[in-house]
Amino acid sequence: MKIEASSFKDYDAFVFFESGELFRKLSENYLPVYKKFTESGLYSRLLSENLIVGHEEITEDTIKPEKVFISYPWEWCFSQLKDAALATLKIQDIALDYGMSLKDANCYNIQFVENKPILIDTSSFEVYTEGEPWVAYKQFCENFMSPLCLMAYKDLNLNSLLLGNINGISLELTSKLLPFSARFNPNLFMHIYLHGKMQKQYSQAENQKQIAQNLKMSKFQQKALILNLIKTIENINLKKYKTEWDNYYTFTNYNEVSFGKKQEIIKNYCTELKPARVCDFGSNNGFFSRIFSDSGAEVFSFDIDKLAVEANYLRAKKENEKNIFPLVFDMVNPSPNLGWNNEERKTLLQRLESIDVSVALALIHHLRFTYNIPFYKMAEYFSRVSKYLIIEFVGKKDSKVQMMLSHRKDVFVDYDEEHFEKVFSEYYNISDKQKIDSAERTMYLMERKNAE
Amino acid sequence: MRNIFKVLFILFVINLINPQAAFAYLDPNTGSMVLQTIIACVTAIGLTFKMWKNSVISFFKKITGKNDDEN
Repeated sequence: MKIEASSFKDYDAFVFFESGELFRKLSENYLPVYKKFTESGLYSRLLSENLIVGHEEITEDTIKPEKVFISYPWEWCFSQLKDAALATLKIQDIALDYGMSLKDANCYNIQFVENKPILIDTSSFEVYTEGEPWVAYKQFCENFMSPLCLMAYKDLNLNSLLLGNINGISLELTSKLLPFSARFNPNLFMHIYLHGKMQKQYSQAENQKQIAQNLKMSKFQQKALILNLIKTIENINLKKYKTEWDNYYTFTNYNEVSFGKKQEIIKNYCTELKPARVCDFGSNNGFFSRIFSDSGAEVFSFDIDKLAVEANYLRAKKENEKNIFPLVFDMVNPSPNLGWNNEERKTLLQRLESIDVSVALALIHHLRFTYNIPFYKMAEYFSRVSKYLIIEFVGKKDSKVQMMLSHRKDVFVDYDEEHFEKVFSEYYNISDKQKIDSAERTMYLMERKNAE
Repeated sequence: MRNIFKVLFILFVINLINPQAAFAYLDPNTGSMVLQTIIACVTAIGLTFKMWKNSVISFFKKITGKNDDEN
């Protein structure tokens, strides 16, 4: 038995692996609560509304949840974080109807399955005691409301503050960072500014226990609070603005013929490889990812740009696409190991399993010229991800590359097709190479050497 | 003396059967608890008013023969 490194905070249960399978062990004290959770009908209700991970009962105190890919809130776009927040509130609202309540509301408990946010922590519930306030209110505000407000009112990239504050962004910090105008939103004023002040005010109070014991809130009042939180979250919206990549496919370096040819080559590679799982690095809005997902593959569609991922996610949601998973991923600044003993949160490569094909289209010139990543580093990285690699070489005469080099000295003497092939050949066998008509670009299909 | 032991024993049992105190691992923060109680009171009043308003509106719609679909 190997206990999951991040599963140590909750007295009621822990997650462990055995023979590669995932299990959740419930404590003896928690068994009556779990019984109420299933027998009250709450579990079935949440399952029917796609709000909780399904599980199988193995023994009286051990359940086997479905395995899901774990992503982190700093890898989500704005709408993914918003949907995760709303799912948490919806679960709490439903749980109250069944005489139960969420005892925590952290953003790691919500994961995306088929682009729907679900609760993965089956032991997150406690029996609701009439009159008790919601114990996870503070955690909800710090884990969801803070990053959402910062993304909407200040900067789209500010959910990455969770990287340095994995237990949530404090309301004091959020209050300092938000623009003055945010105070005029009455709900944000209450849940962020006033909330931060109250936390500070009561932190020094000597009679905290007595105060907490005297606080009473009826179920109707708590439901009104949850409804208010839902409305508050629903009304946090992104300002309409464009980033560098938002309209990338409208302004590509391809004419219609070349773009068609590129699609055709990728479709052929997809037909040839028949991959089950694909990682598309630098996928923009997921245009090419969909060639793979449409063929039935499960596709991780990564991009550094949060608006591109936003567009990708919103489309997947609208079209009810189940096997494309848009995520924010910065290859030059990837998710690190974080938390206690650097084990609670894992790197992307530790979380990705059984990837058949990596896709890197119109990517390597950005890595080389903007971030100075040499070819051998790229080849080494991709070869760790998957057996096959579909990669596009972008020549120096390409107008985008010309633009990148226009304001700097061209020191990249080794940036050419010959050197690219030589370096990648140390890691891969080049199975196919095709020039894209009327463009300075070449497509490659490669197979990792000594592939198992 | 016996009475003191009785009281202590009762307090001990109460402490054991109070799962909130025994197993909660999250610090809810006193300030957060106070604030949410206040917000919950205010929003509950608002919600009650809204529910009354809706029932009054639907009552009048009912007696005037209009329904929601017509809007």
